[in-house]
Amino acid sequence: MSAVTRSEDGELTIPSAAMDEVFTADRNIGRELARVDWSATPLGEPQDWPQSLRTAVSILLSSKFAMWMAWGPELTFFCNEAYRRDTLGQKYPWALGRPSAQVWSEIWDDIAPRIDTVLNSGEATWDEGLLLFLERSGYTEESYHTFSYSPLRDDGGAVVGMLCVVSEDTKRVIGDRRMATLRDLGSDPSVIRTEQEILDFAGEQLSRNPYDLPFTLTYLFQDDGSARRASVTGLGAAHPAAAHILPADPAPCWPADTPARGESVLVPLDGEPFTGLPTGAWEKAPTQALVVPLLQQGGAPYGFLVAGLNRFRALDEDYRGFLELVAGHMAAGVASARSYQAQQRRAEELAELDRAKTTFFSNISHEFRTPLTLIMGPVQELREQLADAEPRVREELEAVHRNGLRLGKLVNTLLDFSRIEAGRMQASYEPVDLASVTGALASVFRSAVENAGLDFPVECEPLPEPVYIDRGMWEKVVLNLLSNALKFTFDGSIRVSVGVQDDGAVVRITDTGIGVAAEEMPRLFERFHRIENARSRSNEGSGIGLALVKELVGLHGGVITADSAEGEGTSFTIRLPFGSAHLPADAVRAEAGDDTSPDAAAPFVQEALRWLPSERTGVAVGEPHRVPQAVGEAPAARLSAQARVLIADDNADMREYLSRLLRGAGYQVHAVDDGQQALEAIRADAPDLVVSDVMMPRLNGLSLVRALRTDSRTASVPVVLLSARAGQEASIEGLQAGADDYLVKPFAAAELLARVEANVKLARLRNHHARWRTALIDSLQEAFFVCDEDGAVIEINTSFTGILGYGPEDLPYQPVHPWWPDAATDPEAHRLVAEAFATLTGQERGSYTIPVAHRDGHRLWVTATFNQVQDPDTGRTVIVGTFRDVSAEHYAIQRETALAALSTRLSQAPSLTEALDGSLEELKKLWRAEQVTAVVFGPRDEPALTCTDTGLVWQDLPAERRRMLTGLRDQPALTAVPGQGEATVVLEHPQGTLALWIALGEQRPFTGEDQLLLSLLAGHLAQGLARAHQIDQQRETAIALQRAILGPSRLPDGFAVRYEPATRPLEVGGDWYDTVALPDGRIGIVVGDCVGRGLEAASVMGQLRSACRALLLQDAGPAQALMALDQFAAGVDGAMCTTVFCGVLDTRTGQLIYSSAGHPPGIVVRPDGTTKLLEDGRSLPLAVRPGRPRPEGSSTISARSTLLLYTDGLVERRRRPLSAGIDRAGEALQDGRDTAVDDLASAVMSSLAPDGGYDDDVALLLYRHPAPLEMSFPAESGQLAPVRKALRGWLDQCDLPPGTAQNVLVAAGEACANAIEHGHRDAPGDTVYFRAEASVDNLRLTIADSGRWKVPQPERNAHRGRGMGLMRALMQQVTVTQGPAGTTVDMHTRIA
Amino acid sequence: MTTPLTLTASRRPDGTTVLTAVGEIDMSNTRSLAAALDDAPGRLVLDLTEVEYLDSAGLSVLFPHADRLELIAGPLLAPVLSISGLTDLTTHH
Repeated sequence: MSAVTRSEDGELTIPSAAMDEVFTADRNIGRELARVDWSATPLGEPQDWPQSLRTAVSILLSSKFAMWMAWGPELTFFCNEAYRRDTLGQKYPWALGRPSAQVWSEIWDDIAPRIDTVLNSGEATWDEGLLLFLERSGYTEESYHTFSYSPLRDDGGAVVGMLCVVSEDTKRVIGDRRMATLRDLGSDPSVIRTEQEILDFAGEQLSRNPYDLPFTLTYLFQDDGSARRASVTGLGAAHPAAAHILPADPAPCWPADTPARGESVLVPLDGEPFTGLPTGAWEKAPTQALVVPLLQQGGAPYGFLVAGLNRFRALDEDYRGFLELVAGHMAAGVASARSYQAQQRRAEELAELDRAKTTFFSNISHEFRTPLTLIMGPVQELREQLADAEPRVREELEAVHRNGLRLGKLVNTLLDFSRIEAGRMQASYEPVDLASVTGALASVFRSAVENAGLDFPVECEPLPEPVYIDRGMWEKVVLNLLSNALKFTFDGSIRVSVGVQDDGAVVRITDTGIGVAAEEMPRLFERFHRIENARSRSNEGSGIGLALVKELVGLHGGVITADSAEGEGTSFTIRLPFGSAHLPADAVRAEAGDDTSPDAAAPFVQEALRWLPSERTGVAVGEPHRVPQAVGEAPAARLSAQARVLIADDNADMREYLSRLLRGAGYQVHAVDDGQQALEAIRADAPDLVVSDVMMPRLNGLSLVRALRTDSRTASVPVVLLSARAGQEASIEGLQAGADDYLVKPFAAAELLARVEANVKLARLRNHHARWRTALIDSLQEAFFVCDEDGAVIEINTSFTGILGYGPEDLPYQPVHPWWPDAATDPEAHRLVAEAFATLTGQERGSYTIPVAHRDGHRLWVTATFNQVQDPDTGRTVIVGTFRDVSAEHYAIQRETALAALSTRLSQAPSLTEALDGSLEELKKLWRAEQVTAVVFGPRDEPALTCTDTGLVWQDLPAERRRMLTGLRDQPALTAVPGQGEATVVLEHPQGTLALWIALGEQRPFTGEDQLLLSLLAGHLAQGLARAHQIDQQRETAIALQRAILGPSRLPDGFAVRYEPATRPLEVGGDWYDTVALPDGRIGIVVGDCVGRGLEAASVMGQLRSACRALLLQDAGPAQALMALDQFAAGVDGAMCTTVFCGVLDTRTGQLIYSSAGHPPGIVVRPDGTTKLLEDGRSLPLAVRPGRPRPEGSSTISARSTLLLYTDGLVERRRRPLSAGIDRAGEALQDGRDTAVDDLASAVMSSLAPDGGYDDDVALLLYRHPAPLEMSFPAESGQLAPVRKALRGWLDQCDLPPGTAQNVLVAAGEACANAIEHGHRDAPGDTVYFRAEASVDNLRLTIADSGRWKVPQPERNAHRGRGMGLMRALMQQVTVTQGPAGTTVDMHTRIA
Repeated sequence: MTTPLTLTASRRPDGTTVLTAVGEIDMSNTRSLAAALDDAPGRLVLDLTEVEYLDSAGLSVLFPHADRLELIAGPLLAPVLSISGLTDLTTHH
């Protein structure tokens, strides 16, 4: 760079003349200015400069504010020292004396307009914080400047230059920007978040500064040394530089190992994977990135931040510092998130630990109770038995007993704690007079206190208001405090007082004992805290009593405090508020409960007594629940019969102990392992009493009690529950479930025996009535049952079991009851029962007869009667019912019905086959047989088999069955033979002997009555089959005849005919139609109707038809023919009154001459839609007045009209005039105006058919005029003229509008010409087929040849293309179908 | 066998040839019509009034002579003549 070169050697070559005084204001800059070769600039040598320039330069150089100026035509550049230092950088001194545009070439585009403004307008500019990219530091640098350009004027006042005063803002702008980012990072409003949330928030803030942070990546180290990307900004997550996971060694992309050591590292972003990086706020992507560790105090870094660097700023201290602060922020965030997580985890772990501890305590306490019982029970027994034993044995036994009690008390206290901690302490607060309750508790202790030689004043005056307490808890509070006082008091007194203070009750227990040292007071109520070395009556104690007291008082919303002075005594004060507002509402009872005796007191008092010297107590220790017993008489022996007790306990020791105890007392004992076994045993045979543990596998004691109570048979069995769970709530739960008594382990043997005896006695008394009722019901002959309101059968008697086979052991029977017929195999019977069942639960009383299934599977019918009643105990609705077996009566009625059904079936069957099929079905239904098979040993080799299992053939049968059936032939006819689960009978079938085999259900007997009925039915069947056979034969003959004689074999063109026999029974009749071809294109038409049906009518019809045909062929006119027919019919039986329509039609003109012998009129429908009836020429039916002349009518069937002739079956309907039917027929013809005649015939037949088909036979004849034109001609051009002639004639008959005929003619001519010219080019003379047909509104032409048309080539064959065009233009639709067999042209046109 | 067609040539007082056709024109007899047309040079009046049928074969014979033809035809042939476009090329009455 030339400027640099100049400055290097500049020092040595100062031209002395150049050091003009104008430059002396600043010596440094002045020296360099003096070196400029000014003569080479437009300004010339300094000595020649105008005064204004000299002044400006002088001012510039002397200013300490950064300035530069430009003067003259090239805007020659000057600047001062401050500007050099702040802005010019490496461009100094090269820039001096150069054109400004050259000096600031890189920003010239930005500043030139401003300079121009100044020079042209003479007005100053002002820019603040303008971003300029300068090249002053060896790279393009982002810089911000605030500057003003002001004009400089020459001596004449003209603007010749400008002065720029600059202050650079780069540091301020960038500093502000970074501060904003750091401030945002610290602005997270939420207190604690997860690690990811914190990093996401940070990322969001970082992405808002794309200037300093074009992109960032945050990685967190993982346990395996790899790093996981946790956040990314400015960069697509899929970019290769944003790897999701960086493996530990060697890390691709980013050198993770350096930040892992806590050091930053600069990464050049060259090559892969750093291509295509984002540019951030700039136009070019970063060239470097700084990797900064996320430092953890006293630990390895959490991870690192990768920051893409702004390439327009050097990575100076500020920039580096900023990035480290950012990283520090993020590290702090991660640290707080992790520590929060750790805290939370720890809190959860602690809570879990606490739960586990509580569970452990309750479990272990429960576990203690059963062994305690098994210790205390036998010990109690031993104490009684060994009352007279030697003192040492007695003392040891007492020690065992005493410690057992202690252990029990401790377990109870621990359980209380675990309940309180688990929030499961189910308190029940009731309003009591606290003074009297507390006084009563104190009195329990009186003897012990007085035995200890202490005064025991109790001052309990009644309180003005009740206090809500849980009695059980309160007992523990008072007893613990009293026991505590007694333990530590050797002289003086223990005082109990209850009073009022500040709207609450105050209970105070004061002793004159040893007192508590002041330093111990704070820990007095602490759990398991014991005061060491205190003098006391006993060393026993767990240090848990006072802690429990404090908890219990707290539960009451009260406080307990203690005052004590060592050597003087201790005073405990309990304050309880009046009212119940401070207690949970759901635990408060409105009324005081029973004033039960304090159960919990005994262990406390006994324990206290044992602290006292025995000679002072004067009584034998213990025996709290001694039960007086009559010597030599076991309790059970006092009961009228030996009582049976069922024991249910899963603990074998306990089972054995209880069994021994109860057997010893004279009970008959049965023991089972769990509730389920107990339930089964009780249901099978109810004992007098059940003793059951509460905690048992499979079915626990409470569930057992509930199950017993819901079943009426076991509802009254008394149950004594044994439980390890102490406390009122447990026993309430047991009693609520329906237990009669409840004993808490450990219990005394005597107590158990006393309660067992009491309960057995009570139950016997109670059950006497129930037993009497049961005996009464069981004596009933009818089945008896009781249902609950859901229909479940809950009680039955022995007759019930006798009839249905279902016993009381499986009660209750829930619906669907097991005796319901199977829904799958017998849906009908199932439905009957379901319907009856609906009435059972839905109606107050009722009766029904239903099929049911015995337990062994056989079917029976019962008639049940029921009533709804209220259960007096529960108030619930139950259904009481009885039923008896009515199977025999039921079947008798069924058989009578079936006989009638068989007769009906036989009389209605239209054929022999159907008669037999139907009869077998009836027989199957009648006996509810599995299968009924009929075998006819007829003329053929193989017997014909008919079976209710359709599709079965003789060969399908097992050989044995075939043999058996064949053997039946020798059996006498009409004699029913019963077999094992089957019955057979033989009868005569028209085609041979018929063997009938009925396969019954296995259980069903075939009684004598059944045999009689089957014989009877077989006779009936034989007769019915013979009759059906006769009918069959007649009909077959008739149909054969009808087919043989009806209708001409070939109909003339334009005609369609139909014959339909009557639907039911399928029978032929005497209707007929006929056409007779006559000379000259005339056709004779006949439609007739003989009276009657069947064979006879058919034969008469045949004769008349032939006669009429012959007459017409002799060229008789219609009237003439009918008159001749009159004579003929007179001689034929059954021919009289036959109606006939006879006409002769000229197919060329459409003229019809006709005569009608009493026949319904023909119908003509014209193209204009009008209908004409052919009512002329009418006369009497045939042979009524033979010889009488008959008239003739005449009508012209105009072009495209349709003629319908028919017999009355088509139009005659009951309760409707004939004219209505005729109108309908006319409408049907109208509807089919565009239908070809044959299709029209089908349409008329189906549209007029009544529902269920025609009940009379119908003959129908249709003609549309003119008949279609059909021609075949050889493919020769000479044929065209004759074809046209024929077509022209036919078109005339069609009576088309003018023009249409010529159009059709030309189109047809073109098609024919095509067929001749192209279709048969190679085979001239082949046949072309031509057909034209007119419907009422449509005309259709078909021209078919056997050749293949050439693809049209218009340019070579212009007139052929023209031919096709003509066809399309003249007809409405032209379809050319080419196939291997030839080409068919189909053309339509509407007839307007 | 060809379809009957009578062709009679005459001359008007102005010298124009008049060719009168009677019968039907189809592919079987177009040759004779073509020959008659070829034999009559110059302007030609073709009288089709008595022609009962004319199809595309006949038209194809007329088209080459369209420039010099003056057609006289009855309403029967009008649709065919106009659909084929022949009337657009010839003078007709």
